[in-house]
Amino acid sequence: MQLILRNIPRFFHTSTPKALAAEKSALGTLRKKTGYTFTNCKKALEMHSNDIEKAEEWLKQQAQALGWSKATKLEGRQTTQGLIGVAIDNNNGVLVEINCETDFVARNVEFENMVKEAAESCLNYLKNTQKSGNSITKVGLDADQLKTLKASDGKSLADKLALMIGTVGENASLKRAIGIRVNNGIYLTGYAHPSGKATSNILLGRIGSLLAIKNLNPENPKIEELAKGICQHVVGLAPKAIGHIDAKPAENKEEETNLIHQEYLLDDSLTVKELLEENQLEVVDFRRFECGENVEINQ
Amino acid sequence: MPHCNQPKTMRFWGLFRVLVQPQRPQLASQCQFCLTRSRFFSSQPQPDRKNVNIGTIGHVDHGKTTLTAAITKYLHKKGLAKYVPYGEIDKAPEEKARGITINACHVGYSTERRTYAHTDCPGHADYIKNMISGASQMDGAVLVVAATDGQMPQTREHLLLAKQVGVSKIIVYINKTDLVDAEVLELVELEIRELLEDFGFDGAHCPLIFGSALEALEGQDTERGTKSIQKLLDALDSYIPYPERDCKSPFMLPIDNTFSVSGRGTVVVGTLTRGTLKKNAEAELLGFDLSLKTTVSDIQAFKQSLPEVRAGDHVGALVRNVKLKDIKRGMVLCAPKSLKLSNRFKASIYFLTKGEGGRSKPIANKYCQQLFSQTWTVPCRIDLDDDVTMLMPGEYGNVKLTLLWKMVMSPGQQFTVRENNFTVATGIVTETMPDVEVKGKLHLVD
Repeated sequence: MQLILRNIPRFFHTSTPKALAAEKSALGTLRKKTGYTFTNCKKALEMHSNDIEKAEEWLKQQAQALGWSKATKLEGRQTTQGLIGVAIDNNNGVLVEINCETDFVARNVEFENMVKEAAESCLNYLKNTQKSGNSITKVGLDADQLKTLKASDGKSLADKLALMIGTVGENASLKRAIGIRVNNGIYLTGYAHPSGKATSNILLGRIGSLLAIKNLNPENPKIEELAKGICQHVVGLAPKAIGHIDAKPAENKEEETNLIHQEYLLDDSLTVKELLEENQLEVVDFRRFECGENVEINQ
Repeated sequence: MPHCNQPKTMRFWGLFRVLVQPQRPQLASQCQFCLTRSRFFSSQPQPDRKNVNIGTIGHVDHGKTTLTAAITKYLHKKGLAKYVPYGEIDKAPEEKARGITINACHVGYSTERRTYAHTDCPGHADYIKNMISGASQMDGAVLVVAATDGQMPQTREHLLLAKQVGVSKIIVYINKTDLVDAEVLELVELEIRELLEDFGFDGAHCPLIFGSALEALEGQDTERGTKSIQKLLDALDSYIPYPERDCKSPFMLPIDNTFSVSGRGTVVVGTLTRGTLKKNAEAELLGFDLSLKTTVSDIQAFKQSLPEVRAGDHVGALVRNVKLKDIKRGMVLCAPKSLKLSNRFKASIYFLTKGEGGRSKPIANKYCQQLFSQTWTVPCRIDLDDDVTMLMPGEYGNVKLTLLWKMVMSPGQQFTVRENNFTVATGIVTETMPDVEVKGKLHLVD
């Protein structure tokens, strides 16, 4: 009862007038419209003598600079969380990793959009690179190379990231990316875990993988499903290499790091090798990114 | 929790005496033995304050840690807490709760009325692990928002988390109020109340405190400084409810032990987790596919026969017309038709990493192992949510449990899953589902 009594005055005192205040107040309107921090909205209005439109324009112009100043301020703070983006477009596929400080931000839509944007930029970059003579071309990108890539609107990914840092107020970093281009005849697929909802052709998850697989029997109707399964296997069991057919499997099954000698994730009665032989498939290459893992970028 | 699972045989009937102190019912049912023992051997007198679990949530730069440090410093002066400086809280050491590594910082302090266990975790995953492993069930949360920024995009994720771990009461602390003017404060308040409403919290009435954690930490006795801390503590005392022992619901007594007394009959022993049990009450014994009707012809606690006992009491009940061989540990004595036997439940589960002693491989559907809960073990099948294809060690998710036999499991009940005698997962029941026909073959059930 005490609680109720205490709350009644607050209800009358504050809520009602404030609802009106929000409509009247230029600051409230600007904040609601733009989502920039109160301090910045306030500053913008002061500079433009409460003209909301001009203030908004100024904020949008300043966003990049403000983002950069925030990004510089937060630079050096550890980023161990984040997302892997997996994008596939026919014969081109990329994996990209972007890190942030907390998993709260990793779950936020602003961050997800950033990863999607980066994955798309990498995909575009990959399509414009020279193919090597091999049936498969791999392109690795480190943090510095990623920063200079252009996003769809012409801005660099570094600019985009700074904007996002300005919005969420937490440090974030572009870590690495790898692109795989294959010739016709090789099937390319990707997988992200946890799978969640795929809203576009870009998958987002904590672990991602790309798999290039050759179909020795063109009539094979199940290639798509099988390739997806093996791709999931790569995510789940983290093999380090494809492994040689003739090489001896590891004695302890748990410690097997060669893909073909591992027990198949979706059916542990057979190994990946047996699955491939049965369906006349051949793994050409695979790549696996796990968020936050320590790795050197290799081409 | 093997220790709690296997209480030594207690010569209860007429010999054993258990002190019943104010304590959380769910704890009492799980760990009566540990609790009683620690009470017997505790050297410090325990003030009779109720303990409440709270946590702080909010943006990394909005002052959660400063606020927590300020609370302990303020209460330290009153002799109600040990001062924990910023650096110690910020480190968030890795701790092990039931074998699971969680990044969390636990700080304890008291007000005149209650003691608080205050948890601060850096990430979403840590809070979820905290909940699933039962390290601490949060009764309420303090949302810290800096007035300079207002709510941030990820504030939505913070509130979603609070919902997910079952927090219904949120107190807002608007920090850094020394850096903005009154107009901004009003708007920050308006915005956050609206957001709380959007997420189903009582945004209009939840307490909202303006202050500066930094000024409070510096010891400034101003409205923004230490006075704001006192206001926050008052709000915690009045707004966060203490889960009262439920004496009104139909009674429920999970059975720890059974024995027979010659000339009298079969006795079941356990802690009444809810309700009031009266002598001569009609009752049901449920568990392991069985449902037996009986009458409680005598109740004993505190070395004497009692006409009625209430939730929290550790009691022995003489059950009429039941043979000792028909009942076993793990069954539940309850009011007729108040509980349902089922073999299918929804649950939240966390799989231990290899480093924590768990599996090295992910699990997919139809994962069959032994499930342990309270005092029983039953073979169980675990199925993942429809949109989840696998769960990796170190991940949590929602699953469906299918037990070989029908048991009583209530929402909030904890369990562990063991594989070759190693704990590989720990979880918490969220919902009872209609039972399915198993016929002894778990892997064939749809």
